[in-house]
Amino acid sequence: MMNIVVAIKVVPDDQDIQISAAGELDMSKAHQTISAYDLNAIEAAAQLAQAVGDSKVIALAVGGSAIDESKLKKNILARGAEELVMIADDACADLDAHATATVLAAELAKIGDVDLVVCGDGSADNYAQQVDVQLACKMGVASVNGVVEMSAAGSTLTAKRKLEDVIETVEAQLPCVVAVTPDIALPRIPGMRDILAAGKKPMNVGAADAAAETCLETIEIKAPEATERKQEVSNASDDGAIDAFVAALKAAL
Amino acid sequence: MKAFVIAEHAEAASALAAGARTLADEVAVAVVGSEQVPANIADAAYHVAVPEGAAADDAAATLEALLDDVQVVIAEPVRHVKSIVGKLAAAKGASVITDCLSIEDGVATSMYFGGVGQIRRKAKSGIAFYTAGAGSFGDAQPSGSNAGAEELSWVAPAAALKLVSSEPIQKSGVDLNKSDVVVAAGRGFSEEADLDLARALCDKIGAGLGCSRPLAEGAGWMPSETYIGVSGLMLSPKVYIAAGISGQMQHMVGANRSGTVFAINKDQNAPIFKQCDYGLVGDLKDVLPKITEAL
Ligand SMILES: Cc1cc2nc3c(=O)[nH]c(=O)nc-3n(C[C@H](O)[C@H](O)[C@H](O)COP(=O)(O)OP(=O)(O)OC[C@H]3O[C@@H](n4cnc5c(N)ncnc54)[C@H](O)[C@@H]3O)c2cc1C
Repeated sequence: MMNIVVAIKVVPDDQDIQISAAGELDMSKAHQTISAYDLNAIEAAAQLAQAVGDSKVIALAVGGSAIDESKLKKNILARGAEELVMIADDACADLDAHATATVLAAELAKIGDVDLVVCGDGSADNYAQQVDVQLACKMGVASVNGVVEMSAAGSTLTAKRKLEDVIETVEAQLPCVVAVTPDIALPRIPGMRDILAAGKKPMNVGAADAAAETCLETIEIKAPEATERKQEVSNASDDGAIDAFVAALKAAL
Repeated sequence: MKAFVIAEHAEAASALAAGARTLADEVAVAVVGSEQVPANIADAAYHVAVPEGAAADDAAATLEALLDDVQVVIAEPVRHVKSIVGKLAAAKGASVITDCLSIEDGVATSMYFGGVGQIRRKAKSGIAFYTAGAGSFGDAQPSGSNAGAEELSWVAPAAALKLVSSEPIQKSGVDLNKSDVVVAAGRGFSEEADLDLARALCDKIGAGLGCSRPLAEGAGWMPSETYIGVSGLMLSPKVYIAAGISGQMQHMVGANRSGTVFAINKDQNAPIFKQCDYGLVGDLKDVLPKITEAL
């Protein structure tokens, strides 16, 4: 039996980010979405819970008030988690890893009896890959990143991790924190039934007990200058289209 | 001002020590694991051997005492070191700015939303922690008078990992950084066998075969070291040919410094067509053999 918490970041969908003429990023029209690789983390947590048996997955998300959105919450709960705890508080918008870990640790303490925290490989915005390790330090437990496979027996988690040059197998005492790579599990595609069932699951949305101070200051966010491209696009079935493409390719080689 | 470099690879230690010198007048370097600190790259050098059964991540406990008089930490962006530097930052109440493209006057530039934007940040106070690749400091050269390195004795943390086994990953040996011409395959390849169509094109023009991330992770049809994009390779070949790739920013930041960009995609609205020089709208199964044949 295990209590597994999966930590999720909700981010503006990058497909909806508009770039102004001055190069500013406008997110005002962007939908809130689950950060891509956190979907794999939810699936990995759900699969582990199933493998261990008699276990529970709680999704925990911390962010600004914009993340408290009904469709999004159902989407999170339609993927294998039994319960959602969400801190939707403007004091928690754009936190850095240290501040995020502080808020997560406070919520985990309230949830109590947590055996394992699963994080994604990195969030779509900053991809810092730091919340897992910072959180583990706050909790005084071990963390493992790059996890591609995991199993739990007794009080031990065994994880296979893929690093740059080696595959390591490590053991950590539970409770601990893991960050899983997208390789670990393909996210499920929730069906209508999952989404309907999700609406009936417990959703506990609140504010943070204490504001967490970020230790990083953002000076500027700008779109990089785009390289000018010719954009000569034609239909492959048009007469001579392939020949023209091949000629351009030969000239460029 | 004192900077402290943490690396797993000797080459990275040199490059980051050179970068550290552009930020601080005093540079110390620590290498964790089997490689050694190169000579003449720093003012002080340390080595941490990882004991049998321990994980390199846990070297943070050994290094922590060395940060007392340090203002800047620059670490190699590999997973072991990312956890080491994360633990050190946590101990100091700080956050690490990771994968910096450049660091100037303490202000680090890094990717935002996989390259949709670039974000410039700095530490508000205390020690500034960064991870940065070898290329982040231009052609800065390391300097210093360290001969060997002081061997530090391992301090085991309270919650340690136990290393059970470590197997080297068999690498494909392909280094796309060295290819002038790169063909990149994406999820438009619906079957692994279809990759032969891309391989045939590569053979004809002497190109290296790369891919988008889903083909390496998830599908597992291509080696990890061949995927292109923000979390993989950042390339600048003369010619870049994308087949069955939609053109998401996370991929394109690894390709948009190419000389000429070619794209093949069956969807005429695919974003890649706004980011290419020459594009063909068509099914790659049909178009690739025709291109290979006509070359
Ligand atoms: C934090 C983060 C980091 C990421 N890092 C990277 C990275 O480093 N590198 C990377 O590549 N991705 C990365 N991604 C993933 C990225 O966002 C995209 O999901 C990915 O690049 C899409 O790969 P693709 O273009 O191959 O697939 P898709 O987006 O699925 O596109 C497939 C394309 O193939 C076309 N197609 C389908 N069938 C055919 C056919 N028969 N003939 C011709 N065309 C066809 C389709 O029209 C479509 O445009 C990252 C994502 C996140 C969130």
